[in-house]
Amino acid sequence: MRDGRCNEQTEARQFTRRALGLGAGQVAIFAGLAARLYQLQVLEGTATAALAQGNRTRQIAIPPRRGRILDATGEVLTVNREAFRVVLQPRRVLDAGELRDELRRLAPLVGIDRDEQERLLLVAARYGRERPLLIAGNLTFDQVAALEVHSLEFPFVSVESTWARTFAEGLGTKASAMAHIAGTVGAVERAALDDDPVLRVSDMRIGKTGVEAGMERELRGIAGSAVVEVDAHGRQVRLLRETAPREGRDVMLAVDAGQQAHVMERLAQDKHQGCVVAIDVATGEVRLMASLPTYDPLALTGAQSRAAWVALSADNTHPLLNRAIAGLYPPGSTFKLVTALAALKAAVLDPKEKIECWGEVTIAGHLFRCWNRKGHKVSDLHKGLRESCDCYFYEAARRTGMDAIAGMAHELGLGQTFNAGIAQQKAGLIPSRSWKRFHSRTGWLIGETLLSGIGQGYVQATPLQLAVMAARVATGRAVVPTLLKHNKARPAPEFAALDIPPAALAAVRRGMVAVVNEPGGTGQSAGFDEGEVLVAGKTGTSQVTAVSADHDLNRAVKMSERDHAVFVAYAPASAPRYAIAVLLEHGGGGGANAGPVVRDCLKLLLDQDAARAKTPAAMGRSSAGAGPNAVTGAPG
Amino acid sequence: MFAPCHSLSFAERFTRLNWFVPALVCLIAAIGAVTLTSATGGAFAPWAARHTLRCAAGLVVMLGCALVPLRVWMALAVPAYIAALALLIAVPFAGAEALGAKRWLNAGGLSIQPSEIMKVALVLVLARLYGVLPQGAASRPHWVALALLLIGLPVVLTLRQPDLGTAVLFAGIGGGMLFLAGTSLWYYAAGAAGLVALLPVAAAHLADYQRKRIEIFLDPASDPLGAGYHITQARIALGNGGASGQGYLQGSQTQLDFVPEKMTDFIFVTIGEEWGFAGACLVLALYAALIGVLFAMALKGRTAFARLLIAGVAISLSVYVVINVAMVTGLVPVVGVPLPLISYGGTSLITLMVALGLALSAGLEEERETLAGGRR
Repeated sequence: MRDGRCNEQTEARQFTRRALGLGAGQVAIFAGLAARLYQLQVLEGTATAALAQGNRTRQIAIPPRRGRILDATGEVLTVNREAFRVVLQPRRVLDAGELRDELRRLAPLVGIDRDEQERLLLVAARYGRERPLLIAGNLTFDQVAALEVHSLEFPFVSVESTWARTFAEGLGTKASAMAHIAGTVGAVERAALDDDPVLRVSDMRIGKTGVEAGMERELRGIAGSAVVEVDAHGRQVRLLRETAPREGRDVMLAVDAGQQAHVMERLAQDKHQGCVVAIDVATGEVRLMASLPTYDPLALTGAQSRAAWVALSADNTHPLLNRAIAGLYPPGSTFKLVTALAALKAAVLDPKEKIECWGEVTIAGHLFRCWNRKGHKVSDLHKGLRESCDCYFYEAARRTGMDAIAGMAHELGLGQTFNAGIAQQKAGLIPSRSWKRFHSRTGWLIGETLLSGIGQGYVQATPLQLAVMAARVATGRAVVPTLLKHNKARPAPEFAALDIPPAALAAVRRGMVAVVNEPGGTGQSAGFDEGEVLVAGKTGTSQVTAVSADHDLNRAVKMSERDHAVFVAYAPASAPRYAIAVLLEHGGGGGANAGPVVRDCLKLLLDQDAARAKTPAAMGRSSAGAGPNAVTGAPG
Repeated sequence: MFAPCHSLSFAERFTRLNWFVPALVCLIAAIGAVTLTSATGGAFAPWAARHTLRCAAGLVVMLGCALVPLRVWMALAVPAYIAALALLIAVPFAGAEALGAKRWLNAGGLSIQPSEIMKVALVLVLARLYGVLPQGAASRPHWVALALLLIGLPVVLTLRQPDLGTAVLFAGIGGGMLFLAGTSLWYYAAGAAGLVALLPVAAAHLADYQRKRIEIFLDPASDPLGAGYHITQARIALGNGGASGQGYLQGSQTQLDFVPEKMTDFIFVTIGEEWGFAGACLVLALYAALIGVLFAMALKGRTAFARLLIAGVAISLSVYVVINVAMVTGLVPVVGVPLPLISYGGTSLITLMVALGLALSAGLEEERETLAGGRR
């Protein structure tokens, strides 16, 4: 018993020792935990608090409302229609199988077929779960209502209201007349990191063609941003703060949609394919830019838009192509203006010098024909331009040389695109010796100089460039075209004088007057009646296929092989107001077919000016009707 | 061994209870109810209400257990252990599966978690074993082997369920009680060496989800939205709390659902975010106080059984708290261990209350011994 008590006491002492040791250990461990908490909460707290902020809040770009496009009279062409779309917030929520089920359940409500479901799954797989997935845009009100009714079954699906870009309703023929100029919008294909963050908004639309693309920066505006609080499932709990977007600015075109529609009707009357470009030579404003065939832009934004796209893309008359800026044609004899000015500037030719023409000429061992098989006997510059004598210009080109001709072509606006506020311009081609060396093994041949000198061979230009050429010849200034109307905020620029001797310009202009107004002139069909405004111009026939000796005229030739009719002109000859280029595809000779179109278009423009001059009030209205947003001018 | 003496009446037992224990339990449980209210978006009902009810029931159970004389518990120690062991063995055969693990037995509409019973039974049986061993026998190899067998069987059985958290708890309780019983420290050295040697073998036998947890523990950033989500979000929320917290019901990470398991195993994160470092430390201090009170009781215990029983309960409480807090602060891998009295969940709460009741009962033994000592 005593031993027991003794043991009991030693045991208790040992227990006490050990318990105190264990207690000390526990105190140390608890102190360690407190130290850890101090580290996480106090020392690293600020850094992780920022993470918590990032966890809880999300910044959302608010897309600005796109600016509208107006015609010169202030008529609204393109608008933003409210549209509803259904979006899935897939962040950390659904795996591929669940997404498939979700889409299957959604399909009857929003009308997406099997193929569309598969496509969405692919898109979802490619973009991961971080991005909201656009399931369907352009919902009808019934579909929106159905989704709202079933909203509890689809917690991750939300209906958002957006803006769909479309042409204004009720424009009639003006819509299709202005379709090419206004252009189209489309989805953002790729957004670089440093790009505008609004480009990463799902379903964001940006300009793809036409002024929509050319004036994208003005039209788009600046995105606003909202910081929203989200929960762990990515659902928005509340709005914390918001910066309103700066809406895109309206863009007013220099083209009057009514006039344009009128010109379209005029072209369609003769079943022409082709285009008309008219420029105000003083300001560079493009007053007409009609391209046929065209399309109904409303069909591309309606319910059957995809089918309409497919049909238009497959159409071999290329209705989607804006021929005025993206159609490339040999300028034909209109290019003789370039050759003439180049020769005169290089002083290798005196305007009075007479050159023989017997229907053909042999240079460097090759035979070159004049369009007039009988020949023009002898031609000086005046007659050469008036009657478009090929032999005269072969000789002029031979003496001038290709490099000088190419230089003059660039001086007159060929072979380049313009900062005109419209996208998808083609530069065309002005060949030169270095170009040939670069692209071909053979060197430049003298014959190529001769062919280029009459606007055939490699030379290619757009109708817009040809109109600019006419404007520059008419004014002697480096006119730059713009689709946008000038206003107080952006006055018309002062164009620099061209580096061409005034005498040379005067001689060529006299020739151009003769083309339209003198007997023997190739472009007399473009002339106005006696006593009216004097028109100056130059005809052209751009060959589609090589013409052999017995390939006479264009009567018996298949449509697709008939030559293009080209006509450049300006009026009034004494004090030029408008320069114009008309190109009729497979229209045969320039003078006969394009001339009347030139005359009618110039008349339309000049008559309207006269009418406006009589009622000054009407002029003010055009700029006053610009709408609520600021009207913007040309870029740069 | 001792002169027989009259038992204390119920009233005497009741008044002589160490009332610090129920007081601290009530305080911590109240913090639990308040925190649960916040974790469920500011609503007292139903979760915090249920928690309060359970705590009240648990308190009654605790006091009930405290009023039962210690000799009853002593007599129950071995049968309880055998019964718990038998139930644990039965689990793989008759258990109900939940979330990929078999931990529950369904018996006549009652679902029992045998590992919970074992938590109490293990403490009891070890206290019982060392209560009868003579002085110095604790370090004898065969007694150490028996003790290790008593600890090892439930550890292995729970590991197979698989339930790593509970297995670690058993090992912690066992190791602590062996230490207090006076087992030679050389065994600990040998055990540590053996553990290091066995580590690769153990690693090979870990379940996939357990291995994943350990990998994620080592590098939570490797999968911040997947398996590392718990740890990453817990850290963010704790950091968001800062020194003084975001304020009650203002913890954005908790309120916006970023913190996972915020009602159960990760509830400490909610406390840390809303009450900050100060609040988290206060909660730790309350636990430390409760553990300290228990240790003080143990030191005063006159029989080895009573001392070890109280200390064993203190150790299990301590292991719970330390593992849970270390887990949410990213010091140990995520194992499913609740924060006692605060986490929402019924079974472990009742188990803990029973264990505290036993400790209180053992504490009364000290009172009796003092009375008896007066007569010796």
